Amino acid sequence: MYKLVLILKYLRRKLAPMFAALAVTLCTAMVIIVISVMGGFLDLMRTSARKLTGDVIVHGDITGFRHYQEMIDAIEALPEADAATALISSFGLVNVNGHVVGAEVVGIDPEKFDNVVQYRDTLYWTSAHFLDMFRNDAFFTGQPPENQPAIEADIRTYEQNEFRDFGMAFKPLPHGEQLPGCVMGIEVAPTNLRNKQGKYKLVESRTLGHQVTVTVVPLSAKGTLGAYEPARRSFVIVNESKSGLYDIDKSRAYVPFDLLQKMLEMERIESPHFDPQTGETLPGKKVTPARATDIMVRGAPGVPLSQVRDAVQRATDAVVNDHGGDRFPFVMTWEDRHGVLLSAVQNEKGLITFLFAIISVVAFVMVATTFYNIVLEKTHDIGVLRAIGGSRIGVASIFLGYGLAIGVIGAVLGFGMAWVIVFNLNEINLFLCNKFDVCMWKPQTYYFDEVPEQINAIEVIWIMIGAVVSSVGGSMIPAVVAAMTDPAQSLRYE
Amino acid sequence: MQLHATNLHKTYNIGGGDVRVLRGVNLKVESGQWVAVLGASGSGKSTLLHLLGGLDRPDDGSVQYDGKNLFNLEGGTLDRYRNAHVGFVFQFYHLLPELNARENVLIAAMIGRSVFGWPGARDACGKRADELLDRLGLKDRARHKPGKLSGGERQRVAIARALINEPDVLLADEPTGNLDAGTGEHILDLLRQLHAGGQSIVMVTHDQRISAAADRRELLIEGQLQHE
Repeated sequence: MYKLVLILKYLRRKLAPMFAALAVTLCTAMVIIVISVMGGFLDLMRTSARKLTGDVIVHGDITGFRHYQEMIDAIEALPEADAATALISSFGLVNVNGHVVGAEVVGIDPEKFDNVVQYRDTLYWTSAHFLDMFRNDAFFTGQPPENQPAIEADIRTYEQNEFRDFGMAFKPLPHGEQLPGCVMGIEVAPTNLRNKQGKYKLVESRTLGHQVTVTVVPLSAKGTLGAYEPARRSFVIVNESKSGLYDIDKSRAYVPFDLLQKMLEMERIESPHFDPQTGETLPGKKVTPARATDIMVRGAPGVPLSQVRDAVQRATDAVVNDHGGDRFPFVMTWEDRHGVLLSAVQNEKGLITFLFAIISVVAFVMVATTFYNIVLEKTHDIGVLRAIGGSRIGVASIFLGYGLAIGVIGAVLGFGMAWVIVFNLNEINLFLCNKFDVCMWKPQTYYFDEVPEQINAIEVIWIMIGAVVSSVGGSMIPAVVAAMTDPAQSLRYE
Repeated sequence: MQLHATNLHKTYNIGGGDVRVLRGVNLKVESGQWVAVLGASGSGKSTLLHLLGGLDRPDDGSVQYDGKNLFNLEGGTLDRYRNAHVGFVFQFYHLLPELNARENVLIAAMIGRSVFGWPGARDACGKRADELLDRLGLKDRARHKPGKLSGGERQRVAIARALINEPDVLLADEPTGNLDAGTGEHILDLLRQLHAGGQSIVMVTHDQRISAAADRRELLIEGQLQHE
């Protein structure tokens, strides 16, 4: 009981241990903040990566694979899978406002694609952006009265129609070029700039509604170049896509599946059938099946990814076998597909956490030195406690308990501090940016609008346990020194 | 109660040389006795008191308490001996500065009880602490920290702390040595009252006048006791 009383008294009376508690607090907060922010980035990337790939992807090569519709039917019949969609991915050139950029041109059926990967959510521009622009931008609010009816009409249009629907249908904008629509990755156009908050602003967008030319080079089914001339086609940008993965948004352009298939000469072709010996035309047609490069699959809820992958692999292999083929597409999970990128971020998170944990040894040293000084200062008290019956273990327990209390206080305060900072990090950054022009990060530079505000409870618990253990560990040596103090010697002189 | 020291030897290494402070000390204290040990500064009086209280270990010899050698006791048993059977009073009081007078008295009672045992004993111990403080004239000073108390008041708190567990023997180390004559006399009166109530006391002092209050006086000269 006396140990508890003394620990409480020491906590209330001593300033030095408060500095130790402050060190524990700061170290705990530091590690929680670092691990939370890094974990947030990782989660952000994982979510984005999964959105792009679906749960499982069937991947051929750049020449594509045949019978993809049969495969989709087989996959959708599986209990392990809910939906599947084909897409074509090819390298191409995109001319945006005179800037020619290399891009991954992806042909999709937007509705089916959205059913698998929530494509609609990646479409950046919404009617809300337009309504905000019409109602708040000085250019529109400052228009003379005779122009207001036209603006009001536009407002009504966007109130009645969701702008994302144009992107979902690849439908040209009402007042723009009447060409097939395409959706560009939002970073493809070099003229798209972001403000201090990291947001793209509609009034500053110089690409939406513009015409772009997409050039792709068809390959033969055997992958040879030169069989076909490069194919060129004009589209109009009907929305832009922001997946959250910079590499993707910097280089991807979505176009209608059918059009890209045609441009790449991957559609179903019926041609006359010739006798190879005589060269005479035979009855019937020679059919070359249509090709796609990928199938994306959404797994059934609750089914492990590996199980979905294995089932899809069996289904696609069966289709290839049915047609006597020998080129089996490769099936992988979204984690396999983006493994390199995700593991790199995961490793960075681990490394940074490790480095900050090492820095946190400072808390351990701080507690050890503070407590050692207290033991030296309290030599008389230790002697007195021993003289009135306190045991060595009892004396040691006072300092260990004291260290435990410092650790618990530091860990709880550190968690509180981290909570406040993590959940206000973006506001803090914005304040520092605006007030002092000191930015912890610039959303214009990094590919995220905001630092993710999230804290993982399990990680926090481990960090807090680590802080408490460090504090108790730091008080261990002083506690042993206290226990070993010779009471007779310590009481001999004043 | 019988406290019996036999052939105690103790040597200190000071400044690289051995100083033999006790050279075969024998002392027997019976229940209810007040024994004063007289000696010059550095003669080994405090060392003898620490050995009697089990706070230090001799190089040779033994201290028997009711027939048991203290230095053969387990650590926990020796701690309990110091807590329950002896009460130390030091020249420099040695109160814990973070605790007030009442808490300084109660801390010795707490040490003898566990966290679970304390709630049941708290009221009785608190009552005894209040009685002791009242008896020693400290009723109004119970909530004061040692820093706010005079030397005499601190020594009275130290005596109350020594008495809280009703020890068999009080071990007083120059209890008036740090006090002015008047305050010292008051402390001596207190010890007389305690002795009159049957309290055994072993007091070490260099002051002939103080030692006169005891039943028996022993002189510690050159590491050995001589009956006076």
